Amino acid sequence: MTTYILRRIIQTLVLLVVLSYLCFNLMTLMPGDPVELMISSNPKITAEDVARLREFYGLDQPTYVRYQRWVSTILEGDLGFSRTYRIPVSEMLGPSLKYTFILSMSSLFLSLLIAIPLGIYCALRPNSKFDYIVNLLSFAGISAPSFWLGIVLIIIFSVKLGWLPAGGYQTTGMVYENIFSEILDKAKYLILPVLSLSIQSIGRFSRFARSAMLEVMRNDYIRTARAKGLTERVVIWRHGFRNALIPLITIVTLSLSSVFSGALITETFFAYPGAGRLIYTSIIGNDFNVAMVAFIISIAMVLVMSLIADLLYGVADPRISYE
Amino acid sequence: MKKLAFVLVAAAILNTACTKKDSTGTSASAGATSSTNSKLSNAELKIGISQEFENFNPLISTMMATTYMSRMSIRTLDSINADGKWIPVLAKEIPTFENKKAVIKKIGGKDHVVAVWEILDNAMWGDGTPLTCADFEFASKVAASPNVSVADKETYSQVEKIEADPKNPKKCTFTYDKVRWDFYMLGTFFPLPKHLEEPIFKKYGSIKEGYEKNSLYTKDPTNPGLYHGAYLVSEIQLGDHVTFTPNPKFYGEAAKIKKIIVKLIPNTGTLEANLRSGTIDLISTMGLALDQALAFDKKIKEEKLGYEVLFQPSTVYEHIDLNLDNPFLKDVKVRKALLYAINKDDLVNALFEGKQLPALHLVTPKDAWYTDDPAKITIYKYNKREADRLLDEAGWKMGADGYRMKDGKKLSFTIMTTAGNKTRELVQVYLQNQWKQVGIEVSAKNEPARVFFGETTKKRKFDSMALFAWVSSPESSPKVTLHSSKIPSAKNGYSGQNQMGWVNKNVDDLTTKLEAELDPAKRIKMVHEILKYYTDEVPVLPLYYRSDVAVIPTQMKNYRLTGHQFPETNEVEKWTLE
Repeated sequence: MTTYILRRIIQTLVLLVVLSYLCFNLMTLMPGDPVELMISSNPKITAEDVARLREFYGLDQPTYVRYQRWVSTILEGDLGFSRTYRIPVSEMLGPSLKYTFILSMSSLFLSLLIAIPLGIYCALRPNSKFDYIVNLLSFAGISAPSFWLGIVLIIIFSVKLGWLPAGGYQTTGMVYENIFSEILDKAKYLILPVLSLSIQSIGRFSRFARSAMLEVMRNDYIRTARAKGLTERVVIWRHGFRNALIPLITIVTLSLSSVFSGALITETFFAYPGAGRLIYTSIIGNDFNVAMVAFIISIAMVLVMSLIADLLYGVADPRISYE
Repeated sequence: MKKLAFVLVAAAILNTACTKKDSTGTSASAGATSSTNSKLSNAELKIGISQEFENFNPLISTMMATTYMSRMSIRTLDSINADGKWIPVLAKEIPTFENKKAVIKKIGGKDHVVAVWEILDNAMWGDGTPLTCADFEFASKVAASPNVSVADKETYSQVEKIEADPKNPKKCTFTYDKVRWDFYMLGTFFPLPKHLEEPIFKKYGSIKEGYEKNSLYTKDPTNPGLYHGAYLVSEIQLGDHVTFTPNPKFYGEAAKIKKIIVKLIPNTGTLEANLRSGTIDLISTMGLALDQALAFDKKIKEEKLGYEVLFQPSTVYEHIDLNLDNPFLKDVKVRKALLYAINKDDLVNALFEGKQLPALHLVTPKDAWYTDDPAKITIYKYNKREADRLLDEAGWKMGADGYRMKDGKKLSFTIMTTAGNKTRELVQVYLQNQWKQVGIEVSAKNEPARVFFGETTKKRKFDSMALFAWVSSPESSPKVTLHSSKIPSAKNGYSGQNQMGWVNKNVDDLTTKLEAELDPAKRIKMVHEILKYYTDEVPVLPLYYRSDVAVIPTQMKNYRLTGHQFPETNEVEKWTLE
């Protein structure tokens, strides 16, 4: 087990280096570097300014030299300076990652809390009225485009009913009397973006849970368990659900890997200052340092989460070994 | 439902714990309460913008949204007001040759402009430190450093020397690098608080980007000593909002609104919903697109909402650059025919309900250099017959398929613009239809803005037509867009903006002489001569002058859109909601 984990960690690190170099190269291939973007917004910039700024930002150097420089500053613990926001990357990315984590985790927890029981219930009563209704709603949720869902939620709950704020993460300028008023205020701002994100994931997760459980409940060992006289509860949870966990672990860990990547459309619609929007702005603005750090986090999360998933498979199913 | 409530409360607890440390709020924001959905008053105003903003250091910031906000807190010696006139701001008066505050002096065998700028006696930084010549001199020194990434160094390097009067630290003598008539245009020459920033510059100035990373604008952006305008920055949350509170040390009239919050709402489609739900009270000029503003204007009238949509003609010039290397476009008759075939009056009425003006040339109506006198420039009124005649003369004969042919080739062009820009895409379709009527085939090819500006227009890679806009300021030299040395090429680092590839020796001479001409009347004459060549040779197809739009509450007073690069926030202290 330890050897397996160590081997996977080494593989992860090697993959990180290779993928980061690839990402760095891909970013340099995009038209328009930071200086070119400055030229297009300021006709006063002279040829001398262009040459000076290129040298200043190191854009006159070959890609591999720039990559080496970037890696060496990262290894020194300096994430670099954002060309777009003109502040250190760490100061900017930190809060955005936190906001995104809160939004994504809330949505993920809510989705799992609703979707898994729904999926299991449907699997236990396949082709029932309830199953049909849940299926219909799941497909509706999966099919609804998030930008449409976002605007519909804003129009209903913010403009028409006036119950919830249209955007932001807290009432700007609000002075909180106590911790509860702060919690309530911030929760108010989370409702619409969380709903917008969850409606889609509930549909997806419940479909997965239903099919995984349905598959398991047809197996011989379930019939054997029932024949042994075990209670239905034990049959479902100990023998059924545990075996249905493998596909669920895959989908949940993959979803967890994107908790720091953000949800661009939802964050943009609800003016939520998360990482998704920041990453998009940094790519569009050719803000190398921010975009690269964000890429690394995303890649690392996917690799780490797939490692965790592999380890959890063993917990869920003891037949899986790590020799 | 219980699960939902549980998750949201748990998330909010986590959110509360995480965000507490992030806030850079100061005591200035304490004691205030939210007025979301409440009746508007001078207690608070929430402005919505849709563009990202950055660090407030005036030397290194480049984003429009930052300029919009920073003008509430940082001012310059002079600026352009809403009427398009240069007015003193931090200075007592603008030096001119007429008032003898500016003279031409020979120094080291070369002529220089020497001007005396006197700073207002009561101008001071937010911490009470007087604002003096030393702050301008220090800003110049920082801008000159090779380790600081100032984009437009010329603004600062044009002033070679700043000396303070030994008896009066607020009386500054500026020695300029050469004789230039626009020496007084210092609207982007910002002072830096020497008393706060000099120790940082001394410590980190020798390290690349060391100053930017350690400046108080980065490390302690709510320090009142960094600002001297009507408002102080009391809270900054990058990517979300900035809070401003009145500066008690402000030299001018006291600000009336007690708190201004500028909130970033990146999706323009939700700005209206945010306004109507009370999340914001006002949509700035960096908010709605014109079509959205027109639609909202109708809703306001239909539903009798308490808002007003303001439309202000701006200095943004929407046009089509023609690539003069295209063999068909080399013929001026074809270029003129293209222009005669466009019914610009109908275009602005059909697409913009007349809220944007048809363009005649590159100088906008807000500019003192503007002319619409047919004796001075060539004006192209829609005339299909004239377009047909010119094309016939040029040898382009109408074919059976409704398109013109010459030497077996079809008269066909490609019009390129920024993908996803709804207004431009509508204009493209409109133009395609108009040109089809005179037998010209035009196909559209659009690209993402960064490809279009970063590669296609910059390197003149468009086949024939590029539709986009220039943002100018009143009385700015057209040399960068018209002089033949400004044709972008690898040789000049693609820094020029003459993307048409237009070469006219007379225009080259005039644009060069214009920069040194001290007589305003002669300058206007020279500009009109340039415009005559511009409209005669048609290297560009002028379309329309864009309008700025903003939505304000009806009870708001003294809010005047400017239409140029010095935004309305330059007069924020005059705004009132009561």
